[in-house]
Amino acid sequence: MPSLQPEWASLSDQDVVLRARSGQESAYRELIRRYERPVFALVFRMVRDRELAEDLSQETFVKALNAIDSYRPEFKFSSWIFKIANNAAIDHLRRRELDTLSLDGSPHAETPEAMQATALQIGARQETPLDTVEAKELGTAIEAAIGSLRPEYRSCILLRHVEGRAYEEIAEILNLPLGTVKTYIHRARNELRQSLAHLKE
Amino acid sequence: MTRPSGAHLSSDEIEACVSGAVSPALQQHLEECPACMEQVRVDREIVQLIGALPLMNPAEGFADRVMARVAIPDPFALRSLQTTRRRLFATKKSIAVAATLVLALLGSMAGSIAWSLAHQDTLASLGTWLFAQGGQAIWLGVQGLVTNVIEQPWYAGFRSLVENPERLAALSAVGSFLYLGCLLALRRLLAVPTQQVAHAGL
Repeated sequence: MPSLQPEWASLSDQDVVLRARSGQESAYRELIRRYERPVFALVFRMVRDRELAEDLSQETFVKALNAIDSYRPEFKFSSWIFKIANNAAIDHLRRRELDTLSLDGSPHAETPEAMQATALQIGARQETPLDTVEAKELGTAIEAAIGSLRPEYRSCILLRHVEGRAYEEIAEILNLPLGTVKTYIHRARNELRQSLAHLKE
Repeated sequence: MTRPSGAHLSSDEIEACVSGAVSPALQQHLEECPACMEQVRVDREIVQLIGALPLMNPAEGFADRVMARVAIPDPFALRSLQTTRRRLFATKKSIAVAATLVLALLGSMAGSIAWSLAHQDTLASLGTWLFAQGGQAIWLGVQGLVTNVIEQPWYAGFRSLVENPERLAALSAVGSFLYLGCLLALRRLLAVPTQQVAHAGL
């Protein structure tokens, strides 16, 4: 018997949104499936706390999906949801500035188990133990360097080089002029270059 | 674009080189300028490092937790109470607006009750005046209607008919039969057919 579910992979975000608006629960789940990883990754690298990133990502999706009627299809859905996610992260950072950047886990974790649970998971793609150690060190360093950037620079650099978004889309997501986005990315890379200079030695 | 002698690449040009869009002019400058070449090389490494950061997943059951808090619209309902409530309490702004409206409504009701209690005599006199005015308006309307009917050309014939009881009874009987006949005909027209229509064998 043929399935009544559409071939989600063949549908654009706009088509899935139209189905969600007509009340299809599976369309809502498809939107979550498509964006849970990038949204979570962006928020996590912004706030550097797994538990908090979960909460903020959840808030992002709840807010976006409950307001799906207000989404305008002439814009990319990805831009819309990244904008909501970024605003959530930036708002949080502004409310509670992180004083220390712990690479071993959440600065709010109180027990060793909580520290381990919230620690960065780096090195999963590596093959040999030596590679793993080196990659972990490098990954940790780059994560730390990104974490030390100003939140605005961090958003720009993550959207550009992790999510691969175009400058124009980043400008739209962050509600910034195109020139400002380019400047932020340039400055962010300069700061990263300085932060990572010790690795060269 | 021409670059002054000895000048280094601009940030846009470095970005172009990092993203692989190296024009012959930029390539030539890179070959001649070790500082710019080094900057482009390091920036490319940084971009590669950032791009190679591990992919991350939220904890299992993320979609279920989100869906538990999402109100899926019912396409057949105009607007369910739940959706209205959810939208009403969606943001701090909407809560503030709703609270202001509720307070304004309650305030106006309370004010109205208080004023009524304090001005019972005024209300009573106002009610009496309105009642008198209403009665007068109705009486004037009835008078106007009667005058209008009396002035109609068919009124004399109608009056003579009403004054003769036999003709009135005969006319009433004919009218009643016609009314009953129309009712029966209408009932037959609206009755559900008991037999299948031959060409509608679905």
